[in-house]
Amino acid sequence: MLGRVLGLSALLCAGLAQAQSPDALDWLRRIQDATQKLSYSGTFVYQNGNRSETSRITRYVDASGDIEKLEVMDGVPREIVRTRDTVRCYLPDSRVVKVERQIESRGSERGFPALLPERINALARHYDIALGETQRVAGYECRTVTLTPKDDLRYGHMLYADAKTGMLLKAVTFDPHGGLVEQFSFTELSIGNVSRDKVKPRHKAQAWRWEDSDAAPASLTWTLTSELPGFRKIAELKRRIGEGGPVGQMVYSDGLAAVSVFVEPLEGRREPVRTGMASVGAIHIYTKEVAKHMVTVVGEAPAASVQRIANSVEFRPQ
Amino acid sequence: MKDRISQLMDGELDERAAGEAIAACGRGGEAGEAWHTYHLIGDAMRETCVLSAGFSARVAERLAAEPTVLAPRRVRPESRTWLALSAAASFAAVALVGWLALTPQPLNIPAQMAQVEAARPQEAPAIVPPPSATNDYLLAHQGFSPRVSFQGMTPYVRSVSQQGRERGK
Repeated sequence: MLGRVLGLSALLCAGLAQAQSPDALDWLRRIQDATQKLSYSGTFVYQNGNRSETSRITRYVDASGDIEKLEVMDGVPREIVRTRDTVRCYLPDSRVVKVERQIESRGSERGFPALLPERINALARHYDIALGETQRVAGYECRTVTLTPKDDLRYGHMLYADAKTGMLLKAVTFDPHGGLVEQFSFTELSIGNVSRDKVKPRHKAQAWRWEDSDAAPASLTWTLTSELPGFRKIAELKRRIGEGGPVGQMVYSDGLAAVSVFVEPLEGRREPVRTGMASVGAIHIYTKEVAKHMVTVVGEAPAASVQRIANSVEFRPQ
Repeated sequence: MKDRISQLMDGELDERAAGEAIAACGRGGEAGEAWHTYHLIGDAMRETCVLSAGFSARVAERLAAEPTVLAPRRVRPESRTWLALSAAASFAAVALVGWLALTPQPLNIPAQMAQVEAARPQEAPAIVPPPSATNDYLLAHQGFSPRVSFQGMTPYVRSVSQQGRERGK
């Protein structure tokens, strides 16, 4: 009996050690480094449910910073170009350019989320992080890193990173029951040798309509009566959505997943608010009305988590 | 006499004492009634179905006579031990079960209700098509997701087609 108890605790200790494996955390750091430092171009497939969509991605890095270009090849054409602090989304069919200027969020560097080393360590609070076996993706030998959530408030992830460079070749998202939610997977990738003209937008778009988000940090009169365990507020801002009026946005994150709460006045809105849940891959969107405002919660988290956040949104006049 | 009947039923009497007890039961009276009652209790404990017509009335009568115990009471010596210990234990068990089933337990209820409250699942939401501004929300949200630091821009491909979302605006 004593032997069995000792055996069990040894097993538990092994599990804990594995969950906080420095090797696995190291690999997360390597993936993030590669994502920030490498130039590459490749084709990847995004899958959710029955839907799959092919896109091209090109990244150019030099001393002045980096530029990344994403072109969606299937369906409605879309091109998104990200520079150091701005994202521009070109929609040739409607001749519109949407401009998102990145603003500071807690824990970010240069506006875009770049996890600092201590934040990677902090992920182990909500996820068991372990190194898996080696697998081949798009001709690259990849190490796998699994992030298994410790509760059912967040999704799990399996990351496949090139064993040599750390470049992420494939990312699979699982629901709390182990079901596949969505998957990004490169079918072809070449690392290095990218020239600057490869990341130029295809469209001049001078005569197009430009919609700027006008995002600026703000202190909103909205709050959550109870935050979702592990999620803390990382940004609070005022902005525009499309051509509409000012919208408040609060962003909560557990270090890996993020959930945004958008709040906009109902005044001037023609249609009534349609309360309910919608989903796009790993993103759930819950809409409801609170204090004559439309509240839209958008997050890469299970439906119940998004709904819980939506149900605790409260107007807090000052 | 009742404790003799109880001992008899538990097989604790020697042949001579057992003979006397059986004879007493045969004469009816207190011994006969005790014999009858103890067997009914035994049957009830073993969930034997057939009960005499007067049994439940008698149990109810005795339950009514029981004080409502809210705290453990100091045991006082009884002037008269009218129930044999083993039978008393059986009866106490029946009484306790009855008491637990019939008496609300004010101390535990708020805690239980709190548990139920916490465990109650959220109402399942209505499933609706993605809002007409979904792609704008996604674009606005994506820049804050830490996943971008692992995946670069790939998550920006998530979008809904015009057909897939709610009309209007």
